[in-house]
Amino acid sequence: MLRRDFLRNLVITTGGLVVAPSILSACGTSATSSGELVIGTPTNPTKLPANGEAIADGLAEEKGTLEILNWADYTNPEVIADFEKLFGVTIKTSIYDTEESAIAKLRNGTFKPDLIIGLTDTALARLSAAKLLQPINKSYIPHFTNLIGGLQSPYYDVDSQYTVAHVIYANGIAYRTDRIDSSVFASGNGYDVMWDSAYKGKLAVLDSYRDTISLAMFQAGKNDVNTSDADVLSAAQENLIRLRDATNPKVDILSYQELPAGNRDIAFTWSGDILTALGYLPEGTPAESLGFWYPEQTITANDFLCIPKDSKAPVLAHKFIDYLLDTDVALKNQTYVGYQPALSTITVETLLSSGTIPETLKDSLVTPEKYDSGQRLVSLSPDADALWLDAWAAFTAG
Amino acid sequence: MKRSPRIWPALAAPGASWLLALFGIPFYAVACVAFGTIDPIFRDAVPQWNPLAWDFGQAHEVLTSVLSGPLQGVFLRTVVYVVAAMATSFAVGFPVAYFLARHAGKRKLLLLTLVIVPFWVNYLMRMLAWVNLLSPSGLFSRFMGVFGIHYNWLDGSPITVVLGLVYGYVPFLILPMYATLERLDWRLVEAARDLGATSRQAFRLVTIPMAQAGMAAAAILIALPMFGDYYTNDLLSRSPRTEMLGNQIDFYVNNSQQPQRGAVLVLMLSALLLVALSWYLRSTSRYAKERTK
Repeated sequence: MLRRDFLRNLVITTGGLVVAPSILSACGTSATSSGELVIGTPTNPTKLPANGEAIADGLAEEKGTLEILNWADYTNPEVIADFEKLFGVTIKTSIYDTEESAIAKLRNGTFKPDLIIGLTDTALARLSAAKLLQPINKSYIPHFTNLIGGLQSPYYDVDSQYTVAHVIYANGIAYRTDRIDSSVFASGNGYDVMWDSAYKGKLAVLDSYRDTISLAMFQAGKNDVNTSDADVLSAAQENLIRLRDATNPKVDILSYQELPAGNRDIAFTWSGDILTALGYLPEGTPAESLGFWYPEQTITANDFLCIPKDSKAPVLAHKFIDYLLDTDVALKNQTYVGYQPALSTITVETLLSSGTIPETLKDSLVTPEKYDSGQRLVSLSPDADALWLDAWAAFTAG
Repeated sequence: MKRSPRIWPALAAPGASWLLALFGIPFYAVACVAFGTIDPIFRDAVPQWNPLAWDFGQAHEVLTSVLSGPLQGVFLRTVVYVVAAMATSFAVGFPVAYFLARHAGKRKLLLLTLVIVPFWVNYLMRMLAWVNLLSPSGLFSRFMGVFGIHYNWLDGSPITVVLGLVYGYVPFLILPMYATLERLDWRLVEAARDLGATSRQAFRLVTIPMAQAGMAAAAILIALPMFGDYYTNDLLSRSPRTEMLGNQIDFYVNNSQQPQRGAVLVLMLSALLLVALSWYLRSTSRYAKERTK
């Protein structure tokens, strides 16, 4: 999702041998699963199975250290410093680079954080099955009501028993307004632009198989982004290969840097990334040179905050969650992170009036209505997932 | 003094146990992952430690893909890139090593150090620096633009990847090449010249055959890591068009939920490299025999 790639490269490169980390973690984990997957979908919301009691009301917060597990650069350092000052504690942050690695390291005890930021519902079913999370006690989170209505009880965790929504975003196409005119999106269903060989060598798609295969489905007018239909997937695979042959795309998550740097002109990406990109514009390049096309049919998503079962500072973790849901803090955080807080108190108008977001990026902001009308990616069954991954492997094998 | 012959195996024991602990067991673990299963919920590898219960399903899938599916292109591309990078490395590195060994004179040490110094900087840092230099707005691209060469180096070009590999590994070719050439008995070359060989003939018929073992060692030394390399590609290209075997292993191990396929590819790559290595061992032992004749 974010500036994870550089870090990911750093981690795996310094890790030396390609196979070593996973082989070692394979040795460390228990051999069998401890539960079963409970997957909520928008049409079939789910209450997660109980896993112990939440902490009691009215406890004093712990002193000392709060350990946070987070994506790289996903919380404003100033917000962290403010919280440290306010509560007289120290915050230590560990970084994860994929949800898969975070889950593996939480299970085998490499990571023992007090709070986790930024996981999504595709990871939640597994976290829940591994009994890694503790219930949230909302009496510590008075700002909970600031959340967008629908996200106070999301389909993946009805009543927000274990998770608290954090940011919202949507998939769309980011581009350079100084090189591409917005009128190009008027032809066909707009997605066709990604298949236009005029952008050969200057175009990128996300290195995220669910997102990018969905792009190929939307372009072809298919909207079931959680399908397990092999024919639909093989059609999407063919469509992606057409895109590859026409445009020789980059497959990464670096567009938030590469677009502002001028190294590419157009990219299929997460809306939050184009807001992050504003901070990467070289001096002299106006903010208006970045644009975003918000598709009618697209994926909308959110991530969440959660507290591990064996958190050593659960009260402090609750307080930090509450802190992030405070409107002013969330705004301050947004100016650094780019991603839009999942708060009803921060509207598109609020963000635009802050003056940091140019008119050309107005469309990258997600309104509650847009959020509701988007498709959601939910966890797939292992068999369906294998089909998706096969299609992806065929695309990336070039 | 008569020594028990047992002392020789005993002397090999530390090395052998080192190999067993740090190569044998991990390699077996890779095989156990490749022929094991995955956890139905967490989709991470569940190694099958008992060889009798190994499941070859994923290995079969991968093999089919390599023989006639999407991985076929990746395999061929990897071989082509590595061979091209190796040939370029020789073209660049051999003359440097030759010059250092034969003509550098007093400045030999200084020049050798100068060759090596850039490589004290972390590989990743050097590659990231190249990304900066090669980007369309980067110094190198602007410099080439002065000569009318407008080439987008970073648009997923195979040339960039091959040159990146050469840049990354060429010192590992220069050093063993230098060590070999330095120790050659150059009197044999002189003898060849005295007997009427032209300098070109002497080079082809005397120098090259004498340096053959060192050349093979240098080739192996850089080919092994190049075959498994994936971060050069990750940083300089990121295009499916240049995907190498290492990238597919990285994908399967780190980003997919089929780590067995990654492990199968590791085994296949090892098998491929084993062929190259045995060629090297055979050629050096043949060379050693010829020398002792």
